[in-house]
Amino acid sequence: MAPRVGIVGIGHCRFGNSSDYDLVDVIAYSANAAFKDAGGLALRKEVDQVIVGNMASGLFNRETAVASALVSRMDMEPCPAELVENGPASGASAIKMGYMAIASGMADVVLVAAGEVMRAVTGWEATDIVATMAHKEAEYNMGLTLPGFAGMVTRLYMEKYGLTERDLALVAVKDHANGAKNIYSHVQLPVTIDAIADGPSAGVVNNYVAEPLRMYSTCPVTDGSAALILVNMDSPKAKLFKKKPVRIAGIGSATDTHVVHNREDPLVLKAVKISSDRAYKMAGIGPKDISFAELHDAFVIFELMNSEEVGFFERGTSFLAVRNHETDIGGRLPINPSGGLKAKGHPVGGTGVSQVFELVRQLRGEAEEGRQVKDPKYGMAVNFGGFGNNVITTILAKD
Amino acid sequence: MAIDELEKKLRPPEVQLAPYPSKVITLASGETMVVRECRREDVPALLGTVYPLIEVAKDYYDVVACRMYNEILSWYRYRIANMFTLVGSVNGEIAGIVTSRHVDSHLGMSLHTLTIKRGLRVGAQLFAAKMEHHLEFLKEDEVWIVAESPIGFKRWMIEYELEDRSSQYPAVRHELGGVPTFVLTRKLWDAVKAVKNTGTRPVPPEVLKTADKLKMPNEYVQLPGWKRNA
Amino acid sequence: MIDFSVYGEQTPHISGWRCQKCGTLYYPAPMVCRKCDSMRDPTTNKGWEEFDLEGPCTLLTWTRVWNLPEGFNKKFLLFGMVEFGNGLRASGRIEMEGDPAIGMKLTAKTIEADERPGKPVKVFVFS
Repeated sequence: MAPRVGIVGIGHCRFGNSSDYDLVDVIAYSANAAFKDAGGLALRKEVDQVIVGNMASGLFNRETAVASALVSRMDMEPCPAELVENGPASGASAIKMGYMAIASGMADVVLVAAGEVMRAVTGWEATDIVATMAHKEAEYNMGLTLPGFAGMVTRLYMEKYGLTERDLALVAVKDHANGAKNIYSHVQLPVTIDAIADGPSAGVVNNYVAEPLRMYSTCPVTDGSAALILVNMDSPKAKLFKKKPVRIAGIGSATDTHVVHNREDPLVLKAVKISSDRAYKMAGIGPKDISFAELHDAFVIFELMNSEEVGFFERGTSFLAVRNHETDIGGRLPINPSGGLKAKGHPVGGTGVSQVFELVRQLRGEAEEGRQVKDPKYGMAVNFGGFGNNVITTILAKD
Repeated sequence: MAIDELEKKLRPPEVQLAPYPSKVITLASGETMVVRECRREDVPALLGTVYPLIEVAKDYYDVVACRMYNEILSWYRYRIANMFTLVGSVNGEIAGIVTSRHVDSHLGMSLHTLTIKRGLRVGAQLFAAKMEHHLEFLKEDEVWIVAESPIGFKRWMIEYELEDRSSQYPAVRHELGGVPTFVLTRKLWDAVKAVKNTGTRPVPPEVLKTADKLKMPNEYVQLPGWKRNA
Repeated sequence: MIDFSVYGEQTPHISGWRCQKCGTLYYPAPMVCRKCDSMRDPTTNKGWEEFDLEGPCTLLTWTRVWNLPEGFNKKFLLFGMVEFGNGLRASGRIEMEGDPAIGMKLTAKTIEADERPGKPVKVFVFS
């Protein structure tokens, strides 16, 4: 039987613009914070394996071999260290690899740290770099970007289910209300529905990015990092850490076609469905057991579609739940209490670890006043690599 | 005030410009930004707002702040002709400033755009307001524009699809140092104004009153840790 | 002998692919047939037929992108996803005045584009 794996330390930096800092320092900052949270920086000597998540440091920062650099920067040699790259799901994949290292018996303590410094280049260059994960010949060469695909899928969803631009704005209003209270969030400003959808200036203030998606349907370009310390809860080393472990109850992952137009129905995120089914099965629970979720909302349409694929709502109805405030902090199933990628920000390779950092904070009851979910038992995170073609779902439990 | 003969000779000829009617824009945060034309009594607050940004090299704030400081001061001291300054303020606090110059009935010369409050497209709204003034109220035929930062180039040259007249140098030469000149013609303005320009008029008196006495920001996101009078 | 035809004007085209063993169509090219497991060797393409993907198609969805990546010095570009009569789908640019409409009939052609650094690339244009 595989050992139980728990999270005993968490660290995070304030998301935003870290372009004055070196990527390795940005990731190390959160790693140090995680050790501090776990009981002290001396605990780094207990680590058996370091896994780093990062998407594109070679392109954004002209830096490679980031895992080796991190170990050295943190005085952790000769600890083994590897880098995991899975596009914007690099962070969740790093957690999965950390889990597997413990489950395999090769490690009892794993540092998982992930981050990205995207603002070292302009926003236009960042959009281009992120687009390199699309199919080179059939998508990237056409000039297509991730916002472009999201715009096309949003239009299809609107046509089929009656979603409106105002519904998209309602998701943003909810996410920004949460993000405004999150001390780690990139954008700490609430936005109002009047300003971005209903008022006379809304069409200009909330300008189109990729029709029908507007600026407030799209995540910002963000720098940042987050880190976790994973332990084998059944090993003697677990006792070295002062924090009660938050258990990783389930991890599932799955892939879909690389080329978006080759999906039978572009409105079906098959990899999200399969990955969440696998995570539920491992955790021995179902959608009704989830207390709250962090869903990958690089574009707000993803929050809606993800919430349907993981079984929270029937297909084509999630936006009705948003209208009814069911996904607000005080609602029946809070979604993206951190502010999500939309408001907290999306440092691509770091996002998956940041999502799980939020799950731990919520399950420990440590979130800020006004955005703490009431008595959560299970938290779920869905992290996308590519345009939904490599997805990891993670479920944490408060035992 | 009596003006001596020599000073009269130093001052540029002025024409009476049509006033810019104030407007109000609701920013994404729900805050209202009043956009109005600056008056001479606004100058201390304007200069005090611009000055700290002179040391910010990032995103060319240093260049823009230096030049804007010079423009506002020169306008105050009557050393630049037919300049106008528009200011955006939120609860009276300066959120952004734009400067520009009326050359003649055909031509406007866009000078600078300085965003103080970032992340809410304040600069984009104020740049649009400046173009609105040139083409709708001063009724010029076109505005000459240059960019001094990559952000400016993308925001103005690309998003407005400005006409590139750099090949006509030196016949077409913007006043700012001879960098490549781009042009917003009336036709281009008409094609973008619906998606770029916004604002409600008239501004309710109680809202306009909030912008009457401008306040300098006490902190800037561009200057982490900096506090006025600290 | 030198093949002098390589110096002539080339008409750009984008290829669809047919597995000759089972007839399944592909775009873009796979390395293995999902239906009959036939391998494609990209150096010989033996067992695979290459054909021009162009002509009439139906628009499945579209967007107008205003924030284009570095190199694209345009106010906006229209992009769409289309389906050809043979069932293959493709994504590319749309050239037309005004707004496209889902379900409209378009014609696909290929152009060479060079917005980004490096060699020019082949791009679908639906009009």
